[in-house]
Amino acid sequence: MGSVFSQTMAVIAMNIRSLPQRIWMSLAMILASAVVVAILLAFLAMAKGFEATLSSAGSDDVVIFMREGSAAELNSVISRDQVNLIEVAPGVMSDANGPVTSAELYVVVDGIKKSSNTEANIPLRGIQERGITMRDNVTITAGRMFTPGTNELIVGAGILQQFDGFELNANVRFGKNVWRVVGVFSSGGNVFESELWADAKVLQSLYNRGSSYQTMRAQLTSPGALETVRAYVENDPRLNLDVQTEANYFAAQGKQLGYMAIFGRTISIVMALGAIAGALNTMYTSVAERSAEIATLRAIGFSSLSAFAGTMVEALVLAAMGGVVGSVCAFMLFDGLNASTLGGSFTQVVFSFELSPDLFRQGAGFALAIGLISGFFPAWRAARMPVVAAFSKVA
Amino acid sequence: MKDLYLIYKNLTRKPLRLFLTSFAIFIAFLLFGAVTTLKSALDSGVELSADDRLVVLNSINFTNPLPVAYVNRVKAVEGVSKVTHANWFGGYFQEPTNQVVTFAVDPETYLDVYSELVIDPAQQDAWFRNRQGILIGERLAKINGWKVGDRIPLSSNIFSQDNGSSTWDFVVEGVFTGNDEQVDTGYAIFHYKYFMETQTMGGDWIGWIILTTTDPALNESVARAIDDQFANSSTETDTSTEKAFNKAFIEQIGNVGLIIFGVVFMAFFTILVVVGNAMVLAVRERTGEIAVLKSLGFTSPRIFRMVLAESMLLSLLGGMAGLGGAYVVVAGAKDAMAQFLPNLVLGTDTALQAFGFMVLLGLVTGLLPAYNALKLNIITAFSRR
Repeated sequence: MGSVFSQTMAVIAMNIRSLPQRIWMSLAMILASAVVVAILLAFLAMAKGFEATLSSAGSDDVVIFMREGSAAELNSVISRDQVNLIEVAPGVMSDANGPVTSAELYVVVDGIKKSSNTEANIPLRGIQERGITMRDNVTITAGRMFTPGTNELIVGAGILQQFDGFELNANVRFGKNVWRVVGVFSSGGNVFESELWADAKVLQSLYNRGSSYQTMRAQLTSPGALETVRAYVENDPRLNLDVQTEANYFAAQGKQLGYMAIFGRTISIVMALGAIAGALNTMYTSVAERSAEIATLRAIGFSSLSAFAGTMVEALVLAAMGGVVGSVCAFMLFDGLNASTLGGSFTQVVFSFELSPDLFRQGAGFALAIGLISGFFPAWRAARMPVVAAFSKVA
Repeated sequence: MKDLYLIYKNLTRKPLRLFLTSFAIFIAFLLFGAVTTLKSALDSGVELSADDRLVVLNSINFTNPLPVAYVNRVKAVEGVSKVTHANWFGGYFQEPTNQVVTFAVDPETYLDVYSELVIDPAQQDAWFRNRQGILIGERLAKINGWKVGDRIPLSSNIFSQDNGSSTWDFVVEGVFTGNDEQVDTGYAIFHYKYFMETQTMGGDWIGWIILTTTDPALNESVARAIDDQFANSSTETDTSTEKAFNKAFIEQIGNVGLIIFGVVFMAFFTILVVVGNAMVLAVRERTGEIAVLKSLGFTSPRIFRMVLAESMLLSLLGGMAGLGGAYVVVAGAKDAMAQFLPNLVLGTDTALQAFGFMVLLGLVTGLLPAYNALKLNIITAFSRR
């Protein structure tokens, strides 16, 4: 048994050391495996980053109210009366300053996207101080908070980075209204950073919204109070509203780029088939070139298992090297890459690609699968190589 | 003739290698064909937009409304030929996730301005007469299985009626197609008047105005005249060509699209590099044979042509199969994914582009070995053995 093991190790070492002699074929296999892994990671990182941006925005103990069937904040309308009814709903928290709720407006304005120099939709959220304190992690990173009752706004860090003209102290014109940027805020990288925030009352008057709002957020007394609130809404015919936790709302929107992950997996699998075809070519050539060597080893008593293992490990090593190269390339090219796309409310969501350890594991799995499949059949041939081959070639 | 036989023999001497190589090429062109088709379908809105069509939007953003009175004021601007308007309805069928792109429009002028829509005259008249009638695109009809005469309830995720319901009942009066396969027919249009009378938000407002100019050369001056007219009013406008508007809309999806296509094309070229490398090496193994052929009296140019023809054949074999595969995939996806994607058509230009890449692959992989064969000195080749 020990001799089989040392034989196998010897053949493996020989195969690996002779790789430079088959440099072009080996490089081709590494490249093929690297590209498949890099593509898989690019798509998954995109879907992952988008999802993380949205799902980290939602809180489990905040509920969001929207008009029935409206699906996104942009489409919803909530009247002043409804706001009053929600403020006194059971299950909604109150403190010394009254109910912990925030009625908000959500209008869409144009901004010039840096990447394409074209107009793109940006949400302008009408909000009041309560709404800002209700959101965790919101900090003013430059300038100051807007003063209620004025044409001042604060801009999310994501907007500042992807759009032109929202620098601190800049004047921004939407239609005939001019706004002044007085502050920049960060919310820990989530979707709120893709928004502009201004005073809700000012927005109501400038956009002819009377006393109505679009969505309402409310802090729950406990995470379990959701059902209490829901029962209250359902029993009051004046409240034709959908109620869900903020976490659920954003989780659903985060799934939107899920098709990217599916698309990416499909393309990677198709690509992997092509890569396997290329890799099989490489490995068969490698076996053919070493046929004399393999047969000689067999003739002097090496087992067929060692021939099999030698080729198999060679394929795995090449595919794994490709996997590493692909992962490193994907990491350098895509990790933290900022992009923006249309989100659920018809507005831009700024997000960054995120390569998590889990994605690297998936990439490694892909590379090893390519190595296994493209190593197995040539290794099988190597193991069954007739000893005669060693001598017929020389003759 | 003999040359052809030799090329054939060379190609098929290792059937497994032939299969693997052409399979890799097949995959590369399958991806190329499918992804390019997807890209061109997404861009078709820009490609097919009429030269003389302009859109007038609220300058804040296109989700903000315009007063209906603007329609007549725009009509009066010099250089304007036809004018129509549309409202976004935010429609869905039964489930909020089952979106139906629906616009409330002025029927006569809308069909006048969107001349690429083709509809049976009898159906058109029926739709004009029935205020509750709705005209649906062919793709939309296919997705939902709707036929002329069907009564369909559509809900809005934005508007509601006086009775509190947000569902409107419509009668399908006609199905429209496009005069080009890529014209999008995945939406529905119904009467603006019916919409205004039933929705509760009140007011006479419209989403946006679409107009045609008498001459595309006037586009710029007409756009400026319209925007100047409404400057400093309570609702300012932003007028641009339909092409610019569609392009900006696609740009909203943003660098995400750019990254996807970039990545896929990178992959395509890498496969070609990998396969090309294998093809070059395969010919190099045959140095000895080429020397024999030369000794037998085959002229160098003849061998050059044979080697080149072999890689060209290999490239076309895999490539054409891949393109055919892409055609089948596109045809399948067209029906299966009609709800998510616009009309997928594997166009002639995509096919030609793919063909160009096949020839290029054949040339690049064939030229080097063919050149080596051309220059090969018989004596050194034999002594190398």
